[in-house]
Amino acid sequence: MPDIEFKSPIAHGPVSAPDGSVSLEDETSTTKVVVRAATGTAAAADLGVPYGQSRLRADGTLVCGTRPGEWTLFAAAGRATEVAASVDTDGFVNVVDVTHGRAMMRVSGPKATAMLAKVCDIDLTDDMAPDGAVFSGSVAKVTCDLLRSDWRGEVSYLISCERSFGNYLFATLADASTEFGAELPTGLDIH
Amino acid sequence: MIVVNCPHCGPRNSSDLRPCGEVTSRPDPATASLSEWRTYLYMRENPSGWVTEAWYCRSGCRRYFTIERNTATNETRRSEAS
Repeated sequence: MPDIEFKSPIAHGPVSAPDGSVSLEDETSTTKVVVRAATGTAAAADLGVPYGQSRLRADGTLVCGTRPGEWTLFAAAGRATEVAASVDTDGFVNVVDVTHGRAMMRVSGPKATAMLAKVCDIDLTDDMAPDGAVFSGSVAKVTCDLLRSDWRGEVSYLISCERSFGNYLFATLADASTEFGAELPTGLDIH
Repeated sequence: MIVVNCPHCGPRNSSDLRPCGEVTSRPDPATASLSEWRTYLYMRENPSGWVTEAWYCRSGCRRYFTIERNTATNETRRSEAS
């Protein structure tokens, strides 16, 4: 996996409300490695997180059970080679670095859930999507993987989608945030 | 809106899934007659009532599963992973 120059598909900087009720920022540079592993392999046992849950590994990698038999590993930018190498590939195991292929953004703040509920039909209540929950669904009609990852004591979601939808999704979420006082950066085209 | 219960993801709007039609049993290609093969490919019961259908969870777990659906009322029951 050669390291190539990273370029985010999201053309705009962070969007936030002056009172901090909701904020939206580009997190595309986050390392993302997808692992598919058959039941009974060492990789499946090591990752050890069932579908719908996540856990933070000692090396700082966040392991998310994104689908049955499939995991996504998130880590700080530039760690793709290291994270991919940490997976035992013995048996029916597939490891792919999708850092460049998927856009990612973080929505956080006390109004983050209300904002996301405008464009997402998944039940986002604490009972159904507590901190650490992993789920997939439609966000603004784009199929996304979502992770509830509370940040600095605030409700927060990491949303990732196919790279080509990243700019559209960011703009649409920014548009949805204006109801909660978010100010759009100059040049952000939402319609 | 039809709410369909995915065995992996839980209740979802049917727009998040893809219906794949009635579940039929595939005859043995080595011994099936043309009539049996045509029936397998094209003929469906299409009842007004309960039918076992296959669905694909395209926005969530990306797995196929079966569910019983009442075609008259759109009630669903007995969701099982394929």
